[in-house]
Amino acid sequence: MTQRTYKAADTMLALSNITRRYGRDTVLDDVTLDVPRGETLVLFGPSGAGKTVLLRLIAGVVEPDGGTVFIDGRDVHGVEPEARGIGMAFQNFALFPHLSAHENIATPLYALGDDVSKRAARVERVAKLLKIDHVLKQNPGALSNGQKQRTSLARALVAEPALLLLDDPLRNVDAKLRFEMRLELPRLLAGLGTTVVYVTQDYKEAMALGDRIAVLVDGRIEQIGTPGEIYLEPATRQIATLFGDPAINLLDVEPVASEHGPTVSLSGQQLVLDSSLAHAIGRPCVLGIRPESIGFADADDPEAIPVTVEAETPLNEKIVDLVTTLRGREILVSRPVHMPGPASTSVHGASIRGASAHSTSAHIVIPTGQALLFDRETGRRILAEGEQRQAGHRQAGQRQAGHRQAGHRR
Amino acid sequence: MSQLDIVDVTKIYDPKTNPVAAVKSLDLSIGAGDIVALLGSSGCGKTSTLRMVAGFEDITHGLISIAGRDVSRLAPAARGIAMAFEGYSLYPPMTVRENIGFALQSARVATEEITRRVDAMANMLAIESILHRYPSSISGGQQQRAGLARALIREADLHLLDEPMGQLEPQLRALLRGRIKHYLKERGSTAILVTHDQTEANALADRIAVMENGTLQQYGTPGELRDRPANLFTGTFVGEPPMNVLTATPVIEGECVRLLLDGNVTLDYPLGDFSVAIRDILASSSSIAIGIRPHAVRTGASGTGASIVVNQWLGDQSHLAVEFAGTTVVAVAHERVPGTRGDTVHIAFSPDDLHWFDAENGRALAHGRETADPAGGLIADPANGPKGGRT
Repeated sequence: MTQRTYKAADTMLALSNITRRYGRDTVLDDVTLDVPRGETLVLFGPSGAGKTVLLRLIAGVVEPDGGTVFIDGRDVHGVEPEARGIGMAFQNFALFPHLSAHENIATPLYALGDDVSKRAARVERVAKLLKIDHVLKQNPGALSNGQKQRTSLARALVAEPALLLLDDPLRNVDAKLRFEMRLELPRLLAGLGTTVVYVTQDYKEAMALGDRIAVLVDGRIEQIGTPGEIYLEPATRQIATLFGDPAINLLDVEPVASEHGPTVSLSGQQLVLDSSLAHAIGRPCVLGIRPESIGFADADDPEAIPVTVEAETPLNEKIVDLVTTLRGREILVSRPVHMPGPASTSVHGASIRGASAHSTSAHIVIPTGQALLFDRETGRRILAEGEQRQAGHRQAGQRQAGHRQAGHRR
Repeated sequence: MSQLDIVDVTKIYDPKTNPVAAVKSLDLSIGAGDIVALLGSSGCGKTSTLRMVAGFEDITHGLISIAGRDVSRLAPAARGIAMAFEGYSLYPPMTVRENIGFALQSARVATEEITRRVDAMANMLAIESILHRYPSSISGGQQQRAGLARALIREADLHLLDEPMGQLEPQLRALLRGRIKHYLKERGSTAILVTHDQTEANALADRIAVMENGTLQQYGTPGELRDRPANLFTGTFVGEPPMNVLTATPVIEGECVRLLLDGNVTLDYPLGDFSVAIRDILASSSSIAIGIRPHAVRTGASGTGASIVVNQWLGDQSHLAVEFAGTTVVAVAHERVPGTRGDTVHIAFSPDDLHWFDAENGRALAHGRETADPAGGLIADPANGPKGGRT
């Protein structure tokens, strides 16, 4: 077999035009992606998008129908999973129940031919790092969920793999543990210098852990970018919806020309969009407004939009109000608990659909500078006039952009 | 009137050879029309409790009554409950539609009525496209929703839902939470939900029972759990991100309260910032645990300098972990906070936002300016509780 090499020395993982089919279904469609050494890349997407298949393909458990996987510059086609220098951890932990935590963690070391004392030393070291050195003698049945999860992570890390694949490792732990690991993992991984591909369906985890996020939808990468780029400049309406809780408000609009610029109408109020979006005038569009960017206002505010508050629901430390416009369009407004709500009238009841709530009238203000505009037909974001060139560059220059970020963690 | 009473219930597994107390002297009452979440980590006793209510487990000691009727010795089918349990599987030889409508068919509801109600239910749970399929040919998440539909469609004295959305993806879960709550409320159904997901508990439940080690830690509304945690366990378990805890030695010097923390860090407040009751608590404590919610930690130009360990921006908020007084303190800001590992931010705590706990046993002593409820927030009877919050 010919072993092609991939030249960029600072690229740990490169996927080149990967396609994978199951029967007639194409589950991965021409996926191209570079992960620089030391980067944590999050693979994010709804279930069925192909995230796990892509991870298995990197691991060598399945082979692609087309395209090439390069690990550390080497084409790994036909290379057995054990020989790929990869560590893996899974959401269900996948620990051997009859082995102690110590023995579980040590399993990848047998393949390396380490002797007993060297194995023990490496297990102790990684266990200390993950704060499970006191439970090494116990079997998985006697471990708490958090300890199991750390054991599984320790096993993935013990052989000091150059590439670590994590398949939704925090999915089955409670909120407190998940949050602890969310803070701890970046420190741990940065300290080890490991390159990580991290699969998750939780957008908060994706934003917290990813140096970059690759959004996979229906087997295609729809966008790759930093958490900031994905949240503030989502490529499509769907991506905008996947990031944010509560989800972004989407309203069908058709901008018209006015003396102030492109304008849309909401509850009788005229919202003027940025003049750089003038090319959207007359096109059927969808206006995306994040719930946290909307504020309540006094009725005499010149930009106030009259609404009816239908229901108020607590969401963690936020309050979410469901309001409707005069035409009955639903809008979600979210605010920190301590921020003032709609006027001073209290709203009781917590049903999302508002059946048990007492409705009250209020006014909101929508800052159009933060609004996103999508093409209603294609779902793609309508770029501001100055922005178009930049986005074009990004697509063409994805490889280079990735390289520049090597080793720079937020 | 309460719809479910759990009175002094204990569950001991394997009592002869290797006794394990899964539930210890549990008292819990649920009012008619209320939705209650049993919240806790795995092994806390929440599922054992639900299984005893369902009749799948014997009660070692105590009594369970549903709608005023002692059901402790009744078989599951005789208890008047509808349930969606993990592993309580769909009938394989029936389609999803037949599974969901089965109970209505047994109750001799007219065929057109069954069709109409199954359609509405399937629409609500977003499974209308798989009604003709058999259970073996649908995904785990679809099976879970079909099981949930089968439970929700029934008229019952009590609905029991065990991790009903555990297998669904986050967006779908967020959507269905609202719809399920609306559906239960509209029909005035009483329901118990077992979950380890506090977002789900907060969004769905009128009241939350927090359990740990087989013991009820607190039973209250989501607001009570947030503002008046009964002890350090509840305080740090409920809330996302979890509450910060600092141990302090309080010293009152003239008109100043000085809190001595680890690492030679002190927090000074005017004595007037605290109520007389809290001054007394501070004066009589040599050591005290202070809880402060990450959302209440102020970051900005004033306050004590702390070094950033992690700064994560989540779109609508920043989560910062900083080194402070020998520990890691987490702060949440609702704007994007600049700064990276090693940079200094200033943090401050308002006296109103401090929760005070006994450093030894973890019981709440005071919250903000108020002293804690002596009952520790454990309100046995929601109808008569001081902060019933029911309408």
